[in-house]
Amino acid sequence: MMLNKKGLAAAVAAGASVLLLATGCTAGGGEGGGDVIKIGVMATSEGNLAFGMGEAKAAIEAAMAPYGGTADGGEVAGKTLEIIYAGTDGTTASAQTQVKKLVENDGVDIVFGPVSGDEGETVVQYALTVPEVTFVNGSASPVGMTLEGAENFFRFHGDSAMWMGGLGTYAVEEKGYDSVYLLAEDYSFPYDNAGGFFSEFCAAGGSISGASWVPVGTTDYATIISQIPADTDAVYVGLGGADAASFLSQAVTNGVAKPLIGGSIAVDTTALSGDANIASAAIGTITGGPVPGAGYDNPVWAEFVDAYLAAPSAEFPSPSIFSILYYNSFESLLLGLEAVDGDLSDGHAAFREALGSLEWDSPTGPISMDENRQAIVDNFLIEVAEGEDGSLVQQNISEATGVKQGTTVYDRFESCDDL
Amino acid sequence: MSELFAPKRTGVARWLPWALGGAVILVAVLFPFLVDRPRFWLPNIGVRTIWLGIIAMSLVFLNRYVGLLSLAQVTVAGVSAYGVGVMMVTFEQPFVLAALVGLVAGTLAGFLIALIAARTKAIYFLMITLAIGQVFYSWASQAIEVTNARRGLAPVLKPDFGFLNLNDITSFYYFVLVIGILCYVLCRYAASSTFGLTLQGVRDSPDRMRALGYNVNAYRIAATTFAAFIASVGGIVLVLDRAQVDPDVVSLGSTLDVLVVAVIGGVGSLGGVFAGALVLTLLSNFAQNLTDRYMTLTGLVFIIVLLFAPAGLAGIGKQVKGLIARRRTPRHDAPQQDPSADQSAEHAITEGKQQ
Repeated sequence: MMLNKKGLAAAVAAGASVLLLATGCTAGGGEGGGDVIKIGVMATSEGNLAFGMGEAKAAIEAAMAPYGGTADGGEVAGKTLEIIYAGTDGTTASAQTQVKKLVENDGVDIVFGPVSGDEGETVVQYALTVPEVTFVNGSASPVGMTLEGAENFFRFHGDSAMWMGGLGTYAVEEKGYDSVYLLAEDYSFPYDNAGGFFSEFCAAGGSISGASWVPVGTTDYATIISQIPADTDAVYVGLGGADAASFLSQAVTNGVAKPLIGGSIAVDTTALSGDANIASAAIGTITGGPVPGAGYDNPVWAEFVDAYLAAPSAEFPSPSIFSILYYNSFESLLLGLEAVDGDLSDGHAAFREALGSLEWDSPTGPISMDENRQAIVDNFLIEVAEGEDGSLVQQNISEATGVKQGTTVYDRFESCDDL
Repeated sequence: MSELFAPKRTGVARWLPWALGGAVILVAVLFPFLVDRPRFWLPNIGVRTIWLGIIAMSLVFLNRYVGLLSLAQVTVAGVSAYGVGVMMVTFEQPFVLAALVGLVAGTLAGFLIALIAARTKAIYFLMITLAIGQVFYSWASQAIEVTNARRGLAPVLKPDFGFLNLNDITSFYYFVLVIGILCYVLCRYAASSTFGLTLQGVRDSPDRMRALGYNVNAYRIAATTFAAFIASVGGIVLVLDRAQVDPDVVSLGSTLDVLVVAVIGGVGSLGGVFAGALVLTLLSNFAQNLTDRYMTLTGLVFIIVLLFAPAGLAGIGKQVKGLIARRRTPRHDAPQQDPSADQSAEHAITEGKQQ
C-alpha cells in the first residue's frame, strides 16, 4: 500500500510538472513588449499540406539570414524577434485553436500565417475580435479575406482570383479563344480562381460554352468530356492534384483535341509528373499563378532561390508556392518593423501605417498595397512545354504587372452573365 | 445483467462518487479564479471541454443504456449548429429563436437517423451512423445555397440578454457550465426513470422485452432522439464558442475527436467524458510545446488509455480497487467480476452490449 501511494503521488507530481511545463505557466505575454517582439507563425504540419511548416521555416530562415537570425528569431530594427510556431492540420478547427493559443496564451504581438484558404477565412474572423494584434497572412488566398474590414490584417500576395490576372486577356488576344468550356472542382478556391479568369475573359469578349462543377475527388471525367461542345475553342481545367492528373489522362484516351487552360493548381508537379502519356494533352496548356515559370529573368528572384536553397529547413530542389508567398510576406513584415524601428506602441499604429504603405521589389516583382491592406502584385502567365529531356516544364510566357484585387467574392457560375 | 441488480454500495463506495463529483464542480466553479490567463483558459480549455463533453455524453448515454455506439452524434450537433448559423447569419434572426430552430433541427435529424439505423446493432449501427455522418459532411461541403459550402457561416455572434452578456467570457463560461451540468442531470434522470430502466432491459435482452410486449425499436428510436437532443445542445454551445460553422464541424476528424473523448473518459461513464474532453483539449492546445509530433503524442495517450485503462479515466478507480482486492485476497477465491462493469471501448464496438 505504501508503495502504491508513493507511486501515485509520484505519478501525480510528474503529470502536474509536465502539464505546467506544457501549458507554459511561466509565459508572460507580449503586452509589455519592451525590446522583445513575439511573432506567432501558423503553418500546416499535419495532413496533406504537412510540408507547409518546413516551407514556412525555410522562408523565414531565408528572410532572417541577412540579419544573422534563424527560424527562431534574431535582432531586427533594434528589437529581439522571438518566433513561435504553431502547427495545424489545415482545418478551420485546428487553425482556430492554434491562433487563439498564440494570441491568448503565448501573447504574441504579430500573427503570421496561415497556409490554407479555409484556415485563412477563420483567422480573419478571429482577427476582427482582437484589434490589438497585427495579422500578416501566410499563403491563404480567398478573395474575401481582405474585404472583411479587418484593419489589423495584411496580405502581401495576390488572392486566388488575382492568380489568373492577365490570362483572360491573353487567351482572347494572343490565343484567339472565343468560347471556353468550364470544368472545375466545386469549392471556394476554384470559384475564385475560375472567377478571376472568366471575369477578365468575358470582359475581353469571350464566352462560356458550358460549365461542369465536380466534387473534389472525381476520377471519372468521361461523361463530362462527352458534354464539351464541338465548337468550343478551349477547356478551362480548374482541378488540382490527382483530379487534374485523372482528367489529363482521360483527355488523352478520349481524344480531347481542345487546347487547355489550367487553373493555378492544375498543372503543378503532381499532375505533370504522374503519367507520361498526358504530354499530348498537357503541352500547350496556359495557366497563371504567383510562381514564375522557367526562364523568369529577375536578379532578386535568383537571390531568393539561392537563399532558399541555403536555408536549413528547405526540402525541395526549388522553392514551392508556399515558401515564395511566406517569404514575400515575412520580408514585408520585417521591412515594416524596420521602417518604424520596431515601434509597436499605440496599438501598432505606426507599424500598421508602414505595412499599409509598403513598397518594395520582391523576388516576384514589385509589391505595393491597396486601401484594403491587400498587395498589388505581378502575376505570371505560364505555358506547359516539353523540356530538352522530354519532361514537361512550366515555361514563363510573361508577367501581368500591377494586378489589383477586385471586389467580387466569386460563387458557382454558369455563364458570363453570372459574373 | 445490469446495474439494476448490482449490490448496494456501502461505506466509502457510497460517498466517494458524490465527493468526487462535488470536488469537480467546485473546481469548475472556481476555474476562472484559478487560472492566470482567463481570456485563454475559459474559452479555449473550459468551454471547449464542456461542449466536447456534452456531445460525447450523448454518445455514452446511447452506449451505456441502449447498447448502441453511434458515430452520428457529431453530425447531429453539426445540424444543430448549422440551424443556428443559418438563422443568425442568413436570416439575421435573434439567438433565442435560432437556438430553438437548432435544437429542433438537431433532434429531428437524430430521429430520422434512428429511423434508418435503429434496426441494426453493434458494428452495423456504428457503420450506418458513420456513413450518414459522411453523407452530411459531403452535403455541407457542397450545398452553397444553405451552408455556404467550405466557407461556412460566420459570424455567429454571442447574444447579450441584458441581465446576462455572453460576450463577457466569464459569464459565457458559467452559462456553458450550467448547461453542461443540466445536460448531465437530465441524462442521469432519464437513465433512472422508467424509460431508462426499460432501455436497459432492451439493451440486455431485446427478445425478452419484445415477449413482454415492449416495442423494442420504438424505445431505441426514442433513446437515439433523446441523445440527439443532448448532442444538439452541445452543437449550440459549439457554434457560440467557435463563432462560425463550417463543414469541419462535422468532418470525420471531429467525429473521431468525440469518440476519442468518450474512450479516454470511459464509454460507460456519463461524467467521465468531461475528463476525456479535458485531456483532448489540453493535448490539442499544448502537445506542440512538448513535441513536433503532437498528433503522435495524442495517439500514444489514446493507446495507453486503451491498454491500461480500457474503461477510461472514469474506470481507473474501479481498476485500482480491483487491484487492491486481488492483492489482499488469495488467488483461488478472487471475487467474480460484475459483468456490468465491462464498459470497455472494445466491448462497445464489437458487441454493442447487445445479446
